[in-house]
Amino acid sequence: MTMRSILSGLKETNAKYRMFHAMTEDSDPGDAKFLFSAKDNLTSADMETCSGSKILVGYRPPFDAESIAKMRAAGGKLIGKCNMDEFGFGTFSTNSGLEIPRNPYDLERACGGSSGGSACAAAVFEGHVSLGVSTGGSICCPASFCGVYGIAPTYGRVSRYGLIDYGNSLDKIGVISADAKDLRKYTHIIAGKDAKDPTSCAQPEFKDTGRKLKSVAIPKEGVEGLSKDVEKAFFEAVERLRSMGVDVESIDMPSLKYAMPAYYVLATSEASTNLARYVGMRYGQQEGDHSLKFDDYFSYFRSKYFGDEAKRRILLGTYTRMAGFRDRYYAKALKVRQVVIKDYKRAFETHDAVLAPTMPFSAPRFDDISGMSALDSYKADYLTVPANIAGTPHISVPCGYGSDGMPIGMQFVADHWDEEVLFDAAEEWEKGFEMRKPEVGA
Amino acid sequence: MKIGLEIHVQLPTKSKMFCSCPTTDAPAPNTHVCPTCLGMPGSRPVLNRKVLEYGIMLAKMLGCKVADTTWFSRKTYFYPDMSKSVQITQYDNPIGEGGVYYLNGKKPIRITRIHVEEDPGKTKRVGDLSSLIDYNRSGIPLAEIVTEPDISTPAEAREFLGQLIEDIRHVIALPGDGERSIRCDCNISVGKERCEVKNVTGLKNVERALTFEMIRQTKILKAGGKIDRETRRFDEERGVTISVRKKEFEADYGYIDEPDLGIYHLKEMADAIKIKESPQKMALRLAHEYGIDQKAAKQLVTTSVGLAETFEAVAKELGVQNAVKWVSGPVSAGWKAMEARGGSPDDVVPIIRRFVAGEITDTECALEIKCAMTGESAESVKGASGDLDKIIGEFLDQNPAIIADYAKNEKAANKAIGFVMKQSGGRFSSAEVVEAVRKDIESRM
Repeated sequence: MTMRSILSGLKETNAKYRMFHAMTEDSDPGDAKFLFSAKDNLTSADMETCSGSKILVGYRPPFDAESIAKMRAAGGKLIGKCNMDEFGFGTFSTNSGLEIPRNPYDLERACGGSSGGSACAAAVFEGHVSLGVSTGGSICCPASFCGVYGIAPTYGRVSRYGLIDYGNSLDKIGVISADAKDLRKYTHIIAGKDAKDPTSCAQPEFKDTGRKLKSVAIPKEGVEGLSKDVEKAFFEAVERLRSMGVDVESIDMPSLKYAMPAYYVLATSEASTNLARYVGMRYGQQEGDHSLKFDDYFSYFRSKYFGDEAKRRILLGTYTRMAGFRDRYYAKALKVRQVVIKDYKRAFETHDAVLAPTMPFSAPRFDDISGMSALDSYKADYLTVPANIAGTPHISVPCGYGSDGMPIGMQFVADHWDEEVLFDAAEEWEKGFEMRKPEVGA
Repeated sequence: MKIGLEIHVQLPTKSKMFCSCPTTDAPAPNTHVCPTCLGMPGSRPVLNRKVLEYGIMLAKMLGCKVADTTWFSRKTYFYPDMSKSVQITQYDNPIGEGGVYYLNGKKPIRITRIHVEEDPGKTKRVGDLSSLIDYNRSGIPLAEIVTEPDISTPAEAREFLGQLIEDIRHVIALPGDGERSIRCDCNISVGKERCEVKNVTGLKNVERALTFEMIRQTKILKAGGKIDRETRRFDEERGVTISVRKKEFEADYGYIDEPDLGIYHLKEMADAIKIKESPQKMALRLAHEYGIDQKAAKQLVTTSVGLAETFEAVAKELGVQNAVKWVSGPVSAGWKAMEARGGSPDDVVPIIRRFVAGEITDTECALEIKCAMTGESAESVKGASGDLDKIIGEFLDQNPAIIADYAKNEKAANKAIGFVMKQSGGRFSSAEVVEAVRKDIESRM
């Protein structure tokens, strides 16, 4: 696939996979060095940006997200904005106010979420790189479901300027691609201090020590509750790692089970304040009876245009920061985060990375998802959430395929600012790994 | 009766608190705005360091303990002029806590805390059914100063605010009134339960609102009623307060930490910041150190801190008597004229020095000081003051009763002063006339 053929077939491909909400009309790549796409919660001045929400339909941001600007500056051409769960609220990209992306391996299955459209695009288009965003696992989960590589760098590595916030203390912009080498290349492009996002300004340089992955720790808590396919593929992969000369040790990380409740408290507390600005007044959708009192208009508008999951998280997050509950939930969750970080630091004293399957199962069918409760799908994040709440970099690599042919991924977590060991691990793993590409046709 | 105030002061930064939009008066509504102060999705706050500096200065001025580490919080509420529906303010660990301010140098008013936060935009009602929003003000930095309920009367509240504002203006070089006027939330309880009157603008209105509340609450209590804890607002035109909401409907702002901004370690910054002595403290110190009365000291400082500094310089070098005689006298009288022409008081000290050395006479010294202050030539001043002396002399010749009255009550001079002011058609400043009239009367006594 050349860049030109990708562009000329873009509409047709998208009709099949629905990875993009907005996409370029250009059929000529011009002098672009590469094509890329970006999750639709990254603002783009030349394409509508909705963050998967009906409430932002029609919104054309006045500025590019810093990560998109840096990709463009490096010669990239933005071809589409990727479908996602509304504001990132989901595990399967099915909580969307707009379109739901289809898994390239089986159109009846989900891409994972919330960067589902990004992983889908990375799996479908040859030589493609897509920007994703992870709050609680939204890069690694879809990367694993779509059989591609994905990195969520250290919190603060990539400027969040132009990212439509979900949980500001958790959100991380990263890269998804079918080629492990792209992860290092494009993370280096989008990373760096940016005065427009103060939380990006504390980062050190990438430490390219040439250090190879020598030892990994597998938390016992991370291999519980796996599907048969995932368990089999994962332990076969562990054997392959051993054969590559990597020491593997089983450890205890008891704090992992507290990471999930703490994550949902922090993420929803922050999300409920971030979503307060959407009132149908300044951007995006605006309609309704303007003779209403402002709070009645706001309520009408928010009730109509937010999806169910957005409403659920607003309610949860408002509750956890209410006077009288704040200490019990929000303040406690902040403490749990520190405990989880400590547990990781302890593991990194003796190991280069912590390893576990990325997701406890492979991509589920849409009809199975519709039968899941909100709690069921929250629980599915228990493997990806700990690294996210700790802000430690993590990478998902394809590690095998299930009996149904669906891809399965495993996730390496490294210490803060130590992305390089993850890039090395992914590249080493890629050599000789038998990647099964999905059969793609429009 | 207990009164506590929450005072909002706009800080004189050049750009807004979290973006680079200017804080100057805008040519039109919604022109000094950007994605950040409009709360556009994906925009992010970047803290203006100056805001922390001003916060620390005020905290020090109020005798607060400056926090070693401080951070920001999100206060969530829905109102059209709050662009993000979230105000970035401080909740835990504000910039300063636990200070005290001495009213008239005596009565302690405890300061609970001082924090910095962003101002929302402005809502302007147009007709009954619609409002327009102007976000030019959105993101302008504010300091909020919270007092304990240590104020006893509405008049005292006004006096306190007046002194506080004068000090603030001096310490952080706040420009004149206008847009940057002070806004106040006033808490008052006559009985047990308190009411809060929100967002009162200006000293006079603070006293009016509190007085109305004092009478309203007293009446209810006298009639055997009960005060409801509630939030009220002040109607400036009618001079009344109106209930906005009862306590059970008070907002729960759901504070969380602002995750887009970090934790600020202030110790080094606070140690490096030295604040100027506030005018109130200076007046107290001058009265104490130089043994002049408090009123005279306050008069110096109120005219100008620069005048008070000149007083101190002269007192130190040439003695208090000469400072009182010359600085409180002709230098003070000519101060406004000197300021108006952009002059400096540097020349007057050598003149007084020459007087003390016996090189010039009393009259010559007064004349030279006047020339130095007004920038006029000795001839014109002489001529003019000759005119002035002539007018006064003639008037007193015709009205000798004033001299006798003056001995009993100095106010008797007012008659002569009024006449001369009118007669001279504003050619002389009131201070000059007062001095010249007194001098003449006293010479006749």
